[in-house]
Amino acid sequence: MVSWGGKRWWWIGGGICLFLLLLPIILRGYWIRLLTNMFMFAVLAESVNIIAGYCGYLALGNMFFFGLGAYTVAVLMTKFAFSFFPALLIAGLGASLFSVIVGLPVLRLKGQYFLMGTVGLLELLREITTNLSLTGGGQGITLPIFPGGAAAANYFFYYFMFGLMVISVACTFYISNSYLGYAFRAIKFDEDAASVMGINPAPYKTAAWAISAFFTSLAGAGYAYWMSYIDPGEVYQIMPSVKMYLMMVLGGAGTVLGPIAGAFFIEFISELVWSKFLELHLLILGLVLVFVVIFTPRGFIDLFQRGLTPSKLLSGIKASRI
Amino acid sequence: MFILEGKRVTKNFEGLTAVSEVDFEIREGEIFGLIGPNGSGKTTLLNLISGIFPLTDGEIHFLGQRLNDLKPHQITHLGIGRTFQIVRAFEGMTVKENALVGSLFGTKKEKHISKAMKEVEEVLDFVGLGAKRDYKISEITIADRKRLELARALVMNPKLLLLDEVMAALNPREIEDLMEMILTVNSKGITILVIEHVMKAVMGISQRIMVLHYGKRIALGSPKEISENEEVIKCYLGERFVRKERTFLERG
Repeated sequence: MVSWGGKRWWWIGGGICLFLLLLPIILRGYWIRLLTNMFMFAVLAESVNIIAGYCGYLALGNMFFFGLGAYTVAVLMTKFAFSFFPALLIAGLGASLFSVIVGLPVLRLKGQYFLMGTVGLLELLREITTNLSLTGGGQGITLPIFPGGAAAANYFFYYFMFGLMVISVACTFYISNSYLGYAFRAIKFDEDAASVMGINPAPYKTAAWAISAFFTSLAGAGYAYWMSYIDPGEVYQIMPSVKMYLMMVLGGAGTVLGPIAGAFFIEFISELVWSKFLELHLLILGLVLVFVVIFTPRGFIDLFQRGLTPSKLLSGIKASRI
Repeated sequence: MFILEGKRVTKNFEGLTAVSEVDFEIREGEIFGLIGPNGSGKTTLLNLISGIFPLTDGEIHFLGQRLNDLKPHQITHLGIGRTFQIVRAFEGMTVKENALVGSLFGTKKEKHISKAMKEVEEVLDFVGLGAKRDYKISEITIADRKRLELARALVMNPKLLLLDEVMAALNPREIEDLMEMILTVNSKGITILVIEHVMKAVMGISQRIMVLHYGKRIALGSPKEISENEEVIKCYLGERFVRKERTFLERG
Protein backbone atom coordinates (compact mmCIF):
# COMPACT_ATOMS: atom_id res chain seq x y z
CA MET A 1 0.00 0.00 0.00
CA VAL A 2 1.29 3.41 -0.87
CA SER A 3 1.46 5.35 2.30
CA TRP A 4 0.25 8.85 1.54
CA GLY A 5 -3.32 8.75 2.78
CA GLY A 6 -4.94 11.10 0.30
CA LYS A 7 -4.95 14.81 -0.47
CA ARG A 8 -4.96 15.96 3.12
CA TRP A 9 -1.38 14.74 3.51
CA TRP A 10 -0.22 16.70 0.49
CA TRP A 11 -1.43 19.88 2.15
CA ILE A 12 0.13 18.96 5.46
CA GLY A 13 3.40 18.01 3.75
CA GLY A 14 3.44 21.18 1.68
CA GLY A 15 2.72 23.26 4.77
CA ILE A 16 5.55 21.68 6.71
CA CYS A 17 7.93 22.23 3.78
CA LEU A 18 6.99 25.89 3.52
CA PHE A 19 7.36 26.28 7.27
CA LEU A 20 10.82 24.71 7.20
CA LEU A 21 11.82 26.89 4.24
CA LEU A 22 10.90 30.06 6.10
CA LEU A 23 12.13 28.95 9.51
CA PRO A 24 15.68 30.36 9.15
CA ILE A 25 14.12 33.85 9.21
CA ILE A 26 13.53 33.54 12.94
CA LEU A 27 16.08 30.92 13.91
CA ARG A 28 19.82 31.08 14.00
CA GLY A 29 22.97 29.38 15.22
CA TYR A 30 22.28 26.37 17.36
CA TRP A 31 18.74 25.70 16.15
CA ILE A 32 19.70 25.94 12.51
CA ARG A 33 22.48 23.45 13.05
CA LEU A 34 20.17 21.15 15.00
CA LEU A 35 17.64 21.13 12.16
CA THR A 36 20.38 20.62 9.58
CA ASN A 37 21.46 17.55 11.52
CA MET A 38 17.86 16.32 11.61
CA PHE A 39 17.54 16.70 7.85
CA MET A 40 20.77 14.81 7.34
CA PHE A 41 19.58 11.89 9.43
CA ALA A 42 16.26 11.99 7.62
CA VAL A 43 18.14 11.55 4.33
CA LEU A 44 20.15 8.69 5.80
CA ALA A 45 17.07 6.96 7.22
CA GLU A 46 15.21 7.38 3.93
CA SER A 47 18.08 5.94 1.91
CA VAL A 48 18.42 2.92 4.18
CA ASN A 49 14.65 2.59 3.82
CA ILE A 50 15.01 2.05 0.07
CA ILE A 51 17.35 -0.95 0.36
CA ALA A 52 16.14 -2.31 3.73
CA GLY A 53 12.56 -1.08 4.14
CA TYR A 54 11.43 -1.67 0.56
CA CYS A 55 13.81 -4.33 -0.73
CA GLY A 56 14.34 -6.21 2.53
CA TYR A 57 18.13 -6.22 2.37
CA LEU A 58 19.35 -5.09 5.78
CA ALA A 59 22.40 -3.06 4.85
CA LEU A 60 23.56 -2.31 8.38
CA GLY A 61 26.90 -1.07 7.12
CA ASN A 62 25.26 1.46 4.81
CA MET A 63 27.26 4.19 6.56
CA PHE A 64 30.29 3.29 4.46
CA PHE A 65 28.67 5.18 1.61
CA PHE A 66 28.50 8.16 3.93
CA GLY A 67 32.22 7.90 4.57
CA LEU A 68 32.88 7.31 0.90
CA GLY A 69 30.98 10.46 -0.06
CA ALA A 70 32.65 12.51 2.67
CA TYR A 71 36.12 11.43 1.63
CA THR A 72 35.48 11.79 -2.10
CA VAL A 73 34.53 15.42 -1.61
CA ALA A 74 37.33 16.04 0.87
CA VAL A 75 40.04 14.59 -1.37
CA LEU A 76 38.72 16.21 -4.56
CA MET A 77 38.46 19.64 -2.92
CA THR A 78 41.80 19.61 -1.13
CA LYS A 79 44.06 17.61 -3.45
CA PHE A 80 42.50 18.36 -6.85
CA ALA A 81 41.08 21.84 -6.28
CA PHE A 82 37.52 20.90 -7.23
CA SER A 83 34.73 23.20 -6.18
CA PHE A 84 31.97 21.73 -4.02
CA PHE A 85 29.18 20.90 -6.48
CA PRO A 86 31.22 19.03 -9.11
CA ALA A 87 32.86 17.09 -6.27
CA LEU A 88 29.41 16.38 -4.86
CA LEU A 89 28.18 14.95 -8.13
CA ILE A 90 31.23 12.71 -8.43
CA ALA A 91 30.77 11.57 -4.83
CA GLY A 92 27.14 10.56 -5.45
CA LEU A 93 27.72 8.79 -8.74
CA GLY A 94 30.94 7.23 -7.47
CA ALA A 95 29.16 5.71 -4.48
CA SER A 96 26.43 4.32 -6.76
CA LEU A 97 29.05 2.78 -9.01
CA PHE A 98 30.84 1.37 -5.99
CA SER A 99 27.59 -0.16 -4.73
CA VAL A 100 27.08 -1.88 -8.09
CA ILE A 101 30.60 -3.32 -8.02
CA VAL A 102 30.53 -4.56 -4.43
CA GLY A 103 26.89 -5.54 -4.91
CA LEU A 104 27.84 -8.19 -7.46
CA PRO A 105 29.21 -10.47 -4.74
CA VAL A 106 27.58 -8.99 -1.62
CA LEU A 107 23.97 -8.85 -2.86
CA ARG A 108 24.13 -12.61 -3.42
CA LEU A 109 24.14 -12.96 0.35
CA LYS A 110 20.83 -12.98 2.16
CA GLY A 111 19.52 -12.06 5.61
CA GLN A 112 22.11 -11.75 8.35
CA TYR A 113 24.92 -12.74 5.98
CA PHE A 114 24.26 -9.70 3.82
CA LEU A 115 24.07 -7.59 6.96
CA MET A 116 27.47 -8.84 8.14
CA GLY A 117 28.89 -8.38 4.66
CA THR A 118 28.02 -4.70 4.67
CA VAL A 119 29.46 -4.26 8.17
CA GLY A 120 32.61 -5.92 6.85
CA LEU A 121 32.76 -3.39 4.02
CA LEU A 122 32.43 -0.56 6.53
CA GLU A 123 35.39 -1.87 8.53
CA LEU A 124 37.37 -2.48 5.37
CA LEU A 125 36.89 1.04 4.03
CA ARG A 126 37.78 2.58 7.38
CA GLU A 127 41.04 0.61 7.51
CA ILE A 128 41.91 1.50 3.93
CA THR A 129 41.19 5.18 4.54
CA THR A 130 43.22 5.15 7.74
CA ASN A 131 46.24 3.73 5.92
CA LEU A 132 46.24 5.87 2.77
CA SER A 133 48.33 9.01 2.59
CA LEU A 134 45.96 10.46 -0.05
CA THR A 135 43.15 10.61 2.53
CA GLY A 136 45.35 12.01 5.27
CA GLY A 137 45.45 8.69 7.14
CA GLY A 138 44.25 8.47 10.71
CA GLN A 139 44.86 12.18 11.25
CA GLY A 140 41.94 13.05 9.05
CA ILE A 141 41.61 15.72 6.45
CA THR A 142 40.73 19.42 6.64
CA LEU A 143 38.49 20.86 3.93
CA PRO A 144 38.41 24.43 2.65
CA ILE A 145 36.22 26.62 4.87
CA PHE A 146 32.88 27.67 3.39
CA PRO A 147 33.38 31.17 1.96
CA GLY A 148 31.22 33.93 3.37
CA GLY A 149 31.39 33.36 7.10
CA ALA A 150 29.71 31.16 9.70
CA ALA A 151 26.19 32.56 9.37
CA ALA A 152 26.09 32.08 5.60
CA ALA A 153 27.46 28.55 6.06
CA ASN A 154 24.65 27.76 8.50
CA TYR A 155 22.02 28.80 5.98
CA PHE A 156 23.76 27.08 3.07
CA PHE A 157 23.95 23.70 4.79
CA TYR A 158 20.45 24.09 6.20
CA TYR A 159 19.01 24.44 2.70
CA PHE A 160 21.40 21.88 1.26
CA MET A 161 20.30 19.14 3.66
CA PHE A 162 16.69 20.25 3.43
CA GLY A 163 16.78 20.05 -0.36
CA LEU A 164 18.45 16.66 -0.24
CA MET A 165 15.76 15.42 2.12
CA VAL A 166 12.95 16.65 -0.13
CA ILE A 167 14.58 15.03 -3.17
CA SER A 168 15.07 11.73 -1.35
CA VAL A 169 11.42 11.75 -0.25
CA ALA A 170 10.25 12.57 -3.78
CA CYS A 171 12.42 9.77 -5.16
CA THR A 172 11.06 7.28 -2.63
CA PHE A 173 7.53 8.41 -3.40
CA TYR A 174 8.11 7.86 -7.09
CA ILE A 175 9.62 4.43 -6.48
CA SER A 176 6.84 3.29 -4.20
CA ASN A 177 4.26 4.12 -6.86
CA SER A 178 6.12 2.67 -9.84
CA TYR A 179 6.78 -0.87 -10.92
CA LEU A 180 10.19 -0.57 -9.21
CA GLY A 181 8.49 -0.37 -5.84
CA TYR A 182 6.43 -3.46 -6.56
CA ALA A 183 9.55 -5.36 -7.61
CA PHE A 184 11.42 -4.23 -4.47
CA ARG A 185 8.61 -5.25 -2.17
CA ALA A 186 8.02 -8.57 -3.93
CA ILE A 187 11.73 -9.36 -3.46
CA LYS A 188 11.50 -8.39 0.19
CA PHE A 189 8.55 -10.65 0.93
CA ASP A 190 9.61 -13.73 -1.07
CA GLU A 191 12.48 -13.67 -3.51
CA ASP A 192 11.75 -17.12 -5.01
CA ALA A 193 8.09 -16.36 -5.56
CA ALA A 194 9.09 -13.00 -7.06
CA SER A 195 11.38 -14.64 -9.60
CA VAL A 196 8.68 -17.13 -10.56
CA MET A 197 6.44 -14.13 -11.21
CA GLY A 198 8.95 -12.84 -13.74
CA ILE A 199 11.15 -10.57 -11.63
CA ASN A 200 14.88 -10.95 -12.13
CA PRO A 201 16.00 -10.06 -8.59
CA ALA A 202 19.62 -9.11 -9.29
CA PRO A 203 19.17 -5.83 -11.24
CA TYR A 204 16.39 -4.63 -8.93
CA LYS A 205 18.40 -5.29 -5.78
CA THR A 206 21.37 -3.53 -7.37
CA ALA A 207 19.21 -0.55 -8.35
CA ALA A 208 17.80 -0.27 -4.83
CA TRP A 209 21.26 -0.28 -3.34
CA ALA A 210 22.65 2.18 -5.89
CA ILE A 211 19.86 4.68 -5.14
CA SER A 212 20.42 4.21 -1.42
CA ALA A 213 24.18 4.68 -1.89
CA PHE A 214 23.64 7.84 -3.93
CA PHE A 215 21.70 9.69 -1.23
CA THR A 216 23.81 8.37 1.64
CA SER A 217 26.95 9.53 -0.15
CA LEU A 218 25.52 13.00 -0.88
CA ALA A 219 24.65 13.37 2.79
CA GLY A 220 28.19 12.37 3.70
CA ALA A 221 29.64 14.79 1.15
CA GLY A 222 27.57 17.66 2.55
CA TYR A 223 28.56 16.68 6.07
CA ALA A 224 32.28 16.78 5.24
CA TYR A 225 32.06 20.29 3.77
CA TRP A 226 29.83 21.41 6.64
CA MET A 227 32.17 20.15 9.39
CA SER A 228 35.26 21.09 7.30
CA TYR A 229 37.18 18.37 9.10
CA ILE A 230 36.68 14.60 8.94
CA ASP A 231 38.61 11.56 10.11
CA PRO A 232 38.05 7.86 9.35
CA GLY A 233 36.83 6.97 12.85
CA GLU A 234 34.13 9.60 12.60
CA VAL A 235 32.60 9.04 9.17
CA TYR A 236 32.95 5.25 9.08
CA GLN A 237 31.03 4.52 12.28
CA ILE A 238 28.60 1.70 12.93
CA MET A 239 26.52 3.62 15.50
CA PRO A 240 24.90 6.08 13.07
CA SER A 241 23.91 3.04 11.00
CA VAL A 242 22.12 1.60 14.01
CA LYS A 243 20.46 4.95 14.56
CA MET A 244 19.29 5.05 10.93
CA TYR A 245 17.66 1.65 11.40
CA LEU A 246 16.04 2.74 14.63
CA MET A 247 14.59 5.78 12.87
CA MET A 248 13.31 3.69 9.98
CA VAL A 249 11.70 1.05 12.19
CA LEU A 250 10.19 3.61 14.56
CA GLY A 251 8.65 5.65 11.78
CA GLY A 252 7.68 2.74 9.58
CA ALA A 253 9.92 0.69 7.31
CA GLY A 254 8.78 0.52 3.72
CA THR A 255 6.72 3.72 3.90
CA VAL A 256 7.56 7.01 2.24
CA LEU A 257 7.37 9.33 5.23
CA GLY A 258 7.94 6.92 8.12
CA PRO A 259 11.74 7.17 8.20
CA ILE A 260 11.55 10.98 8.01
CA ALA A 261 9.18 11.09 10.96
CA GLY A 262 11.38 8.63 12.83
CA ALA A 263 14.48 10.70 12.17
CA PHE A 264 12.86 13.92 13.42
CA PHE A 265 11.49 12.19 16.47
CA ILE A 266 14.72 10.52 17.55
CA GLU A 267 16.92 13.53 16.88
CA PHE A 268 14.50 15.72 18.78
CA ILE A 269 14.31 13.40 21.79
CA SER A 270 18.09 12.94 21.77
CA GLU A 271 18.64 16.66 21.70
CA LEU A 272 16.12 17.40 24.44
CA VAL A 273 17.45 14.78 26.80
CA TRP A 274 21.07 14.78 25.72
CA SER A 275 21.93 18.12 27.18
CA LYS A 276 20.68 17.16 30.64
CA PHE A 277 21.31 13.42 30.94
CA LEU A 278 24.23 12.02 29.01
CA GLU A 279 23.42 8.36 29.61
CA LEU A 280 19.70 8.53 30.27
CA HIS A 281 18.75 9.46 26.73
CA LEU A 282 19.69 5.96 25.55
CA LEU A 283 17.31 4.54 28.15
CA ILE A 284 14.51 6.76 26.92
CA LEU A 285 15.18 5.81 23.31
CA GLY A 286 15.11 2.16 24.36
CA LEU A 287 11.75 2.61 26.07
CA VAL A 288 10.31 4.39 23.05
CA LEU A 289 11.49 1.59 20.79
CA VAL A 290 9.92 -1.07 23.02
CA PHE A 291 6.69 0.90 23.08
CA VAL A 292 6.59 1.25 19.31
CA VAL A 293 7.40 -2.41 18.64
CA ILE A 294 4.64 -3.54 20.99
CA PHE A 295 1.91 -1.09 20.07
CA THR A 296 2.54 -0.29 16.48
CA PRO A 297 4.96 -2.75 14.91
CA ARG A 298 4.57 -1.12 11.51
CA GLY A 299 5.94 2.14 12.84
CA PHE A 300 4.11 5.16 14.19
CA ILE A 301 3.31 6.57 10.76
CA ASP A 302 0.83 3.68 10.70
CA LEU A 303 -1.00 5.18 13.68
CA PHE A 304 -1.56 8.46 11.85
CA GLN A 305 -2.86 6.69 8.80
CA ARG A 306 -5.34 4.49 10.61
CA GLY A 307 -6.35 7.00 13.23
CA LEU A 308 -5.57 6.07 16.80
CA THR A 309 -8.24 4.24 18.81
CA PRO A 310 -7.85 1.84 21.75
CA SER A 311 -9.14 -1.10 19.72
CA LYS A 312 -6.58 -0.44 17.00
CA LEU A 313 -3.85 -0.26 19.61
CA LEU A 314 -5.01 -3.63 20.91
CA SER A 315 -4.93 -5.13 17.44
CA GLY A 316 -1.41 -3.76 17.16
CA ILE A 317 -0.46 -5.65 20.31
CA LYS A 318 -1.97 -8.83 18.88
CA ALA A 319 -0.13 -8.34 15.62
CA SER A 320 3.16 -8.12 17.48
CA ARG A 321 2.39 -11.62 18.88
CA ILE A 322 3.16 -10.93 22.51
CA MET B 1 2.21 -30.89 -30.80
CA PHE B 2 3.91 -31.08 -27.42
CA ILE B 3 4.10 -27.91 -25.36
CA LEU B 4 6.36 -29.38 -22.68
CA GLU B 5 8.71 -32.33 -23.01
CA GLY B 6 10.87 -33.91 -20.35
CA LYS B 7 13.56 -36.43 -21.16
CA ARG B 8 15.16 -38.52 -18.41
CA VAL B 9 14.51 -35.69 -15.96
CA THR B 10 16.55 -36.37 -12.83
CA LYS B 11 17.17 -34.48 -9.60
CA ASN B 12 19.45 -35.56 -6.78
CA PHE B 13 19.57 -33.82 -3.43
CA GLU B 14 22.93 -34.98 -2.08
CA GLY B 15 22.35 -38.73 -1.78
CA LEU B 16 18.58 -38.65 -2.30
CA THR B 17 17.15 -39.04 -5.76
CA ALA B 18 13.91 -37.04 -5.68
CA VAL B 19 13.09 -37.40 -9.38
CA SER B 20 14.60 -40.23 -11.35
CA GLU B 21 14.74 -40.43 -15.16
CA VAL B 22 11.18 -39.28 -15.72
CA ASP B 23 10.01 -38.97 -19.34
CA PHE B 24 6.85 -37.05 -20.14
CA GLU B 25 5.19 -35.00 -22.86
CA ILE B 26 2.36 -32.58 -22.31
CA ARG B 27 0.17 -31.88 -25.33
CA GLU B 28 -0.85 -28.37 -26.18
CA GLY B 29 -4.28 -27.56 -24.81
CA GLU B 30 -4.68 -30.51 -22.48
CA ILE B 31 -5.09 -30.80 -18.75
CA PHE B 32 -2.35 -33.08 -17.52
CA GLY B 33 -2.64 -34.55 -14.03
CA LEU B 34 0.35 -35.41 -11.86
CA ILE B 35 -0.34 -37.66 -8.87
CA GLY B 36 1.55 -39.81 -6.45
CA PRO B 37 2.06 -40.40 -2.73
CA ASN B 38 3.63 -37.75 -0.49
CA GLY B 39 7.32 -37.39 -1.21
CA SER B 40 7.08 -38.97 -4.63
CA GLY B 41 8.68 -35.96 -6.32
CA LYS B 42 5.70 -34.10 -7.78
CA THR B 43 6.54 -30.67 -6.41
CA THR B 44 10.23 -31.23 -7.14
CA LEU B 45 9.33 -31.90 -10.77
CA LEU B 46 7.37 -28.65 -10.83
CA ASN B 47 10.31 -26.79 -9.31
CA LEU B 48 12.53 -28.24 -12.04
CA ILE B 49 10.17 -27.05 -14.75
CA SER B 50 9.86 -23.55 -13.31
CA GLY B 51 13.61 -23.33 -12.79
CA ILE B 52 13.76 -23.02 -9.01
CA PHE B 53 16.07 -26.08 -8.89
CA PRO B 54 18.63 -26.89 -11.57
CA LEU B 55 18.36 -30.37 -13.12
CA THR B 56 20.93 -32.98 -12.16
CA ASP B 57 20.43 -34.80 -15.44
CA GLY B 58 18.06 -34.92 -18.39
CA GLU B 59 16.38 -32.18 -20.37
CA ILE B 60 13.18 -30.15 -20.32
CA HIS B 61 11.92 -28.42 -23.47
CA PHE B 62 9.13 -25.87 -23.66
CA LEU B 63 7.83 -25.24 -27.18
CA GLY B 64 11.12 -26.52 -28.51
CA GLN B 65 13.27 -24.35 -26.23
CA ARG B 66 15.60 -25.94 -23.72
CA LEU B 67 14.83 -24.79 -20.18
CA ASN B 68 17.78 -26.35 -18.36
CA ASP B 69 19.98 -23.30 -17.95
CA LEU B 70 17.29 -20.65 -17.69
CA LYS B 71 16.50 -18.73 -14.51
CA PRO B 72 12.96 -18.78 -13.05
CA HIS B 73 12.08 -15.30 -14.36
CA GLN B 74 13.23 -16.21 -17.89
CA ILE B 75 11.05 -19.33 -17.83
CA THR B 76 8.13 -17.19 -16.66
CA HIS B 77 8.70 -14.80 -19.56
CA LEU B 78 8.55 -17.74 -22.00
CA GLY B 79 5.02 -18.36 -20.79
CA ILE B 80 5.02 -20.77 -17.86
CA GLY B 81 3.06 -19.60 -14.83
CA ARG B 82 2.78 -21.51 -11.58
CA THR B 83 1.19 -21.56 -8.16
CA PHE B 84 2.82 -22.74 -4.97
CA GLN B 85 1.54 -25.58 -2.82
CA ILE B 86 2.29 -23.62 0.32
CA VAL B 87 0.80 -20.32 -0.78
CA ARG B 88 3.47 -17.69 -1.09
CA ALA B 89 1.53 -14.47 -1.41
CA PHE B 90 3.47 -11.33 -0.58
CA GLU B 91 2.36 -10.59 2.99
CA GLY B 92 1.99 -6.90 3.59
CA MET B 93 0.64 -6.23 0.10
CA THR B 94 -3.06 -6.22 -0.68
CA VAL B 95 -4.77 -8.85 -2.81
CA LYS B 96 -4.81 -6.45 -5.74
CA GLU B 97 -1.14 -5.56 -5.42
CA ASN B 98 -0.17 -9.22 -5.24
CA ALA B 99 -1.85 -9.91 -8.54
CA LEU B 100 -0.46 -6.68 -9.99
CA VAL B 101 3.10 -7.97 -9.57
CA GLY B 102 2.25 -10.83 -11.94
CA SER B 103 0.84 -8.43 -14.48
CA LEU B 104 3.80 -6.02 -14.26
CA PHE B 105 6.50 -8.66 -14.61
CA GLY B 106 4.87 -11.64 -16.35
CA THR B 107 4.94 -12.31 -20.09
CA LYS B 108 3.38 -8.95 -20.98
CA LYS B 109 5.62 -6.74 -18.86
CA GLU B 110 3.04 -3.99 -18.79
CA LYS B 111 4.85 -1.16 -17.00
CA HIS B 112 1.90 1.21 -16.64
CA ILE B 113 0.31 0.55 -13.30
CA SER B 114 -3.14 1.83 -14.26
CA LYS B 115 -3.30 -0.29 -17.42
CA ALA B 116 -2.03 -3.35 -15.61
CA MET B 117 -4.55 -2.75 -12.84
CA LYS B 118 -7.47 -3.00 -15.24
CA GLU B 119 -6.51 -6.50 -16.26
CA VAL B 120 -5.79 -7.46 -12.68
CA GLU B 121 -9.31 -6.48 -11.69
CA GLU B 122 -10.81 -8.63 -14.45
CA VAL B 123 -8.82 -11.65 -13.29
CA LEU B 124 -9.71 -11.04 -9.65
CA ASP B 125 -13.38 -10.93 -10.61
CA PHE B 126 -12.93 -14.18 -12.50
CA VAL B 127 -11.47 -16.05 -9.52
CA GLY B 128 -14.06 -14.51 -7.20
CA LEU B 129 -11.82 -12.11 -5.32
CA GLY B 130 -13.25 -8.93 -6.83
CA ALA B 131 -14.88 -7.83 -3.61
CA LYS B 132 -11.75 -8.51 -1.57
CA ARG B 133 -9.24 -6.76 -3.81
CA ASP B 134 -8.20 -4.27 -1.13
CA TYR B 135 -7.88 -6.80 1.68
CA LYS B 136 -4.50 -7.57 3.18
CA ILE B 137 -3.25 -11.13 2.79
CA SER B 138 -3.57 -11.72 6.53
CA GLU B 139 -7.29 -10.90 6.29
CA ILE B 140 -8.33 -13.53 3.73
CA THR B 141 -9.11 -17.23 4.18
CA ILE B 142 -7.00 -20.11 2.94
CA ALA B 143 -9.48 -20.73 0.11
CA ASP B 144 -9.09 -17.11 -0.99
CA ARG B 145 -5.32 -17.41 -0.81
CA LYS B 146 -5.52 -20.38 -3.17
CA ARG B 147 -7.68 -18.32 -5.49
CA LEU B 148 -5.15 -15.53 -5.29
CA GLU B 149 -2.36 -17.95 -6.23
CA LEU B 150 -4.39 -18.84 -9.30
CA ALA B 151 -5.05 -15.18 -10.07
CA ARG B 152 -1.36 -14.29 -9.75
CA ALA B 153 -0.49 -17.03 -12.22
CA LEU B 154 -3.27 -16.05 -14.63
CA VAL B 155 -2.38 -12.37 -14.88
CA MET B 156 1.05 -13.39 -16.08
CA ASN B 157 -0.75 -14.56 -19.22
CA PRO B 158 0.88 -17.99 -19.40
CA LYS B 159 0.68 -20.57 -22.17
CA LEU B 160 1.27 -23.33 -19.65
CA LEU B 161 -0.07 -23.16 -16.11
CA LEU B 162 1.41 -25.30 -13.34
CA LEU B 163 -0.99 -25.78 -10.45
CA ASP B 164 0.47 -27.26 -7.28
CA GLU B 165 -2.32 -28.59 -5.04
CA VAL B 166 -4.59 -25.61 -5.37
CA MET B 167 -7.44 -27.69 -3.95
CA ALA B 168 -5.80 -28.90 -0.76
CA ALA B 169 -7.54 -27.69 2.40
CA LEU B 170 -10.67 -26.60 0.51
CA ASN B 171 -14.20 -27.84 1.18
CA PRO B 172 -16.20 -29.77 -1.48
CA ARG B 173 -18.09 -26.69 -2.59
CA GLU B 174 -14.91 -24.68 -3.03
CA ILE B 175 -13.30 -27.60 -4.88
CA GLU B 176 -16.14 -27.65 -7.37
CA ASP B 177 -15.85 -23.91 -7.94
CA LEU B 178 -12.16 -24.28 -8.57
CA MET B 179 -12.62 -27.23 -10.96
CA GLU B 180 -15.03 -25.10 -12.90
CA MET B 181 -12.50 -22.27 -13.03
CA ILE B 182 -9.69 -24.55 -14.19
CA LEU B 183 -11.88 -25.89 -17.00
CA THR B 184 -12.76 -22.34 -18.06
CA VAL B 185 -9.08 -21.35 -18.11
CA ASN B 186 -8.31 -24.45 -20.15
CA SER B 187 -11.08 -23.69 -22.61
CA LYS B 188 -9.30 -20.40 -23.39
CA GLY B 189 -6.41 -22.44 -24.75
CA ILE B 190 -4.12 -22.54 -21.74
CA THR B 191 -2.44 -25.89 -21.16
CA ILE B 192 -2.55 -26.97 -17.53
CA LEU B 193 -0.37 -29.26 -15.46
CA VAL B 194 -2.13 -30.02 -12.21
CA ILE B 195 -0.78 -31.72 -9.10
CA GLU B 196 -3.61 -32.86 -6.89
CA HIS B 197 -4.49 -35.26 -4.12
CA VAL B 198 -8.22 -34.75 -4.52
CA MET B 199 -8.86 -37.75 -6.78
CA LYS B 200 -12.38 -36.79 -7.75
CA ALA B 201 -11.05 -33.51 -9.12
CA VAL B 202 -7.95 -34.71 -10.88
CA MET B 203 -9.75 -37.71 -12.42
CA GLY B 204 -12.61 -35.48 -13.44
CA ILE B 205 -10.70 -32.78 -15.29
CA SER B 206 -7.50 -34.38 -16.60
CA GLN B 207 -7.21 -35.85 -20.06
CA ARG B 208 -4.07 -37.74 -19.10
CA ILE B 209 -2.43 -38.49 -15.78
CA MET B 210 1.12 -39.36 -14.79
CA VAL B 211 1.85 -41.20 -11.55
CA LEU B 212 5.12 -40.78 -9.69
CA HIS B 213 6.35 -43.10 -6.94
CA TYR B 214 9.71 -42.59 -5.20
CA GLY B 215 10.67 -40.23 -7.99
CA LYS B 216 9.97 -42.73 -10.76
CA ARG B 217 7.21 -42.67 -13.30
CA ILE B 218 5.09 -45.77 -12.75
CA ALA B 219 2.18 -45.00 -15.05
CA LEU B 220 0.96 -42.54 -17.67
CA GLY B 221 -2.43 -42.70 -19.30
CA SER B 222 -6.07 -41.70 -19.30
CA PRO B 223 -7.88 -41.43 -15.96
CA LYS B 224 -9.56 -44.76 -16.64
CA GLU B 225 -6.28 -46.52 -17.37
CA ILE B 226 -4.74 -45.04 -14.25
CA SER B 227 -7.58 -46.10 -11.99
CA GLU B 228 -7.25 -49.67 -13.31
CA ASN B 229 -3.47 -49.87 -13.11
CA GLU B 230 -2.55 -52.48 -10.50
CA GLU B 231 0.70 -50.81 -9.45
CA VAL B 232 -0.95 -47.43 -8.99
CA ILE B 233 -3.70 -49.01 -6.90
CA LYS B 234 -1.15 -50.78 -4.74
CA CYS B 235 1.07 -47.82 -3.97
CA TYR B 236 -1.30 -44.86 -4.09
CA LEU B 237 -5.01 -45.12 -4.81
CA GLY B 238 -5.87 -48.03 -2.51
CA GLU B 239 -8.57 -50.64 -3.05
CA ARG B 240 -11.36 -48.66 -1.45
CA PHE B 241 -11.10 -45.74 -3.84
CA VAL B 242 -11.02 -48.03 -6.86
CA ARG B 243 -14.11 -49.95 -5.79
CA LYS B 244 -16.00 -46.71 -5.34
CA GLU B 245 -14.70 -45.37 -8.62
CA ARG B 246 -15.66 -48.57 -10.50
CA THR B 247 -19.21 -48.54 -9.24
CA PHE B 248 -19.31 -44.87 -10.18
CA LEU B 249 -18.07 -45.58 -13.71
CA GLU B 250 -20.39 -48.57 -14.15
CA ARG B 251 -23.39 -46.50 -13.20
CA GLY B 252 -22.16 -43.86 -15.62
